Amino acid sequence: MVGIVIVSHSDKIAQGTVELCEQMSQGLVKVIPAGGTSDNDIGTDATKIEKAIVQADSGEGVLVFVDLGSAMMSTDVAFELLNGELRKRVVIADAPLVEGSVVATVQASMGSDLETVRATAEESREMSKLE
Amino acid sequence: MVSEQVRIINPTGLHARPASVFVKAANGFRSDVAVISGDKRINAKSIVKVMSTALKQGTDIVIEASGEDETEAVRALVDLVKGGFGEV
Repeated sequence: MVGIVIVSHSDKIAQGTVELCEQMSQGLVKVIPAGGTSDNDIGTDATKIEKAIVQADSGEGVLVFVDLGSAMMSTDVAFELLNGELRKRVVIADAPLVEGSVVATVQASMGSDLETVRATAEESREMSKLE
Repeated sequence: MVSEQVRIINPTGLHARPASVFVKAANGFRSDVAVISGDKRINAKSIVKVMSTALKQGTDIVIEASGEDETEAVRALVDLVKGGFGEV
């Protein structure tokens, strides 16, 4: 099953998003938080993200959600730290953190492959709040 | 093609966890499955479509399926909605 990593500047945002995703997946999907710096300050940490990716992977790939600016940079650095095989099956979702990760979790729980889970996540950009 | 009308009775409506349960069940069938509410027609197998439509408690919907297992699909999904997703 595809795994999911939540990268946020805030550990609480990452933990809370994971909590929400887990409600949707009934424990079937690994959703791992990677929020805050190594001393749990506001920020992101490549090593923390790398560890979360390794933990989320079960051989079918990992979709990573990021919040703002440098979360993306830290995630790119984390990708460089991964071994070659795992590096090939990790992608960043170009999607909103909460909406994207929730729908991706549901899609992953149905056993879909990484590309399908990513496409569902990115489809969530079209979700309107006011309709 | 088989279709049946059912009322959403659970407090959350067809959203959040119930939406996820519903879409997963729909994906268990080979038939094309749609949820129809008024002039809206959405793919019951798409979590994004079902969640963004956010059908509320008290809404009457029609579940429509076409394909080899259409009868089973409609029956299973209608039963899920009638059962209130464990919320009632």
